[in-house]
Amino acid sequence: MVINARNLVKRYGELTALDHLDITVEEGEIFGLLGPNGSGKTTAINCILSLLDYDEGSIEVFGRPMTPENYEAKRKIGIVMQNVAVFQELTVYENIDYFCGLYVADKTLRRKLVNEAIEFTGLEDFRKFRPKKLSGGLLRRLNIACGIAHKPQLIILDEPTVAVDPQSRNKILEGIAELNRNGATVVYTSHYMEEVEQLCTRIMILDKGRAIATGTKDELKAMISIGEKVIVDTDVPDEALLKALGGIRGVSSVSYSEGAVTVTSGRGMSSLEAVLEILKKSGAAYSRIRTELPTLNDVFLEITGKGLRD
Amino acid sequence: MFVHIFKTRLKCLLRDKEMLFWSLLFPVALALLFNIAFSNLNAHDTFEPVKLAVVADESYLQDAAFRGALRNVSTGESRIFDLQETELAAARTMLRSNDISGYILAGDVPTLITSGTGLGPSIAKTFLDSYLQMQSSVNSILAKDPSSYEELMDRLNARLSYTKEVSPGGGESNPVLNYFYSLIAMTCFYGAFFGNREVLDVQANLSPLAARISVSPVHKLKSFLYSMCASLLINAAEVLLFILFLAKVLGIDFGEDTGLVVLTALMGSFTGVTFGAFISSLVKKDENVKIGVIIAVSMTGSFLAGMMYGEMKYIVQQNVPVLSYLNPINLLTDAFYCLYYYDTYTRYAVNMGILATFAVVFCLGTYLVIRRRKYAGI
Repeated sequence: MVINARNLVKRYGELTALDHLDITVEEGEIFGLLGPNGSGKTTAINCILSLLDYDEGSIEVFGRPMTPENYEAKRKIGIVMQNVAVFQELTVYENIDYFCGLYVADKTLRRKLVNEAIEFTGLEDFRKFRPKKLSGGLLRRLNIACGIAHKPQLIILDEPTVAVDPQSRNKILEGIAELNRNGATVVYTSHYMEEVEQLCTRIMILDKGRAIATGTKDELKAMISIGEKVIVDTDVPDEALLKALGGIRGVSSVSYSEGAVTVTSGRGMSSLEAVLEILKKSGAAYSRIRTELPTLNDVFLEITGKGLRD
Repeated sequence: MFVHIFKTRLKCLLRDKEMLFWSLLFPVALALLFNIAFSNLNAHDTFEPVKLAVVADESYLQDAAFRGALRNVSTGESRIFDLQETELAAARTMLRSNDISGYILAGDVPTLITSGTGLGPSIAKTFLDSYLQMQSSVNSILAKDPSSYEELMDRLNARLSYTKEVSPGGGESNPVLNYFYSLIAMTCFYGAFFGNREVLDVQANLSPLAARISVSPVHKLKSFLYSMCASLLINAAEVLLFILFLAKVLGIDFGEDTGLVVLTALMGSFTGVTFGAFISSLVKKDENVKIGVIIAVSMTGSFLAGMMYGEMKYIVQQNVPVLSYLNPINLLTDAFYCLYYYDTYTRYAVNMGILATFAVVFCLGTYLVIRRRKYAGI
């Protein structure tokens, strides 16, 4: 087990940031911590890294209690902080070299590792640039390069794609998957469910410092009662149409908002065929029709009663 | 690891243009301004002879004693008057056109004619009053005892001054130097910006960069000390460069003991950098507040040490002497002045001793705060 955090409690005065949280991360997996802003993801990471004091619980990393003096564990960890943490006065190359140098003393080896990190993050054309000359996406990539250059066994990425354009985001996600394929265990925090769903092999959903669900994405989706959704883009429908759609067997709810009717079926049920038939019979006009499987947002919604981005 | 951190830190600090401006170029600019201001001040201090005319009429030509006295103070390099012997009409014309401060009519009793008040007329009047008083005394003594003429003349020619200015050391008293010495002290204490940055980059609860460095496998205090070495080196080099600039370009005198001047600069630099680290670790606010506190303390200390108003140093010494010893900028300023002015080292040693105590307090205070390795909040 790479990380074994038990019964973590962290309080800020009256506020409980972590509420008896258990986190276990196995070697080789990409473990996702998903939750809205303020749910305790970064607090949990900071406790694991021994930056933050916690009130109760215990944390072991690589089988040993995690303390600020556990340099053996620290040497195996690569961290990509939520906020970009680089020296503004150093170039891309110098920044990566500095952070890599905190882990690797041998200069020749370091040069090789730094060049590999630059290549890996696609920063070849920017090695002599200073951070203020880089775009938001490139800056994030530099932040990642500084965290992974020393080839750590455990990589912790705390919301690495915040404020990043879609192109850079995809590049970052592909890179993380590759790091994992190369043998690194990854802990990835985000409030973007799509990212976590795409990347992580196991996911923990956090809310108000508590783990509300943990498992693979399929296991999480299997926890909830809803199944496929049929979404019909249409003008304001009449009551009769909504009633007819609601009467389809297995449909659990029908709703209308923002120019679309959403017909939600129960777990394991499909209603597309029946919806199409009713639309044809009623002669209702629609511009588009599509289906969606349940998302992690649906899981969060059903368990907490609110959306991930509420 | 030392070389890696130290070298990187040097690069960062040397590329931080804003910091270099405040810690080196700003004091240089101030020194140039001081130099211009004090050059003018010295030019004003140079005495210009008073332009004076005397009406060369019959009574003047007959009064050999007065004529002799007037010509005596109007010749040589340290003359009081630029004297013109002329006619009454010409004297009046020159006075009207402000070419002279006044003119003298010898008559029975010499009289000064001026067009108003000012330094020139005052000097001329003082001279004339003094002459008339002396003439009256001589006349009355000779009237009583004509035989005392020779002795009287000898005594008049041998005026004695009963006070004299002495310097306890090699340098002459020069209040202008204090301005430059306090400027060096301010430069040393602007090293506080470096100390502040070191703490900001090592305290994980103060910056993301510090948090990132804190999770690396390097002992926090070692990392801090290695970085501090770079800060101390740069600030000390800046202070020494500044002193070199003052000595070689502006001609500021630091006395003969170059070794002790360098030692004082290094001590000042060390105290300044550790002061910044101390303030940064003590003030639990954001970076701007910390910098504000550093500037406020440095400038107040410089003001009390006489950087903006030379007399302030003496006002503080007379009225609140303890403040002179509690103000490290004053101690540093005074240490430089002692090296220039005194040939004994007692006062210098006291200043350096108290400065060293301050530096130790700053180091201990910083250590007690930054030794914490986990935080309640980030």
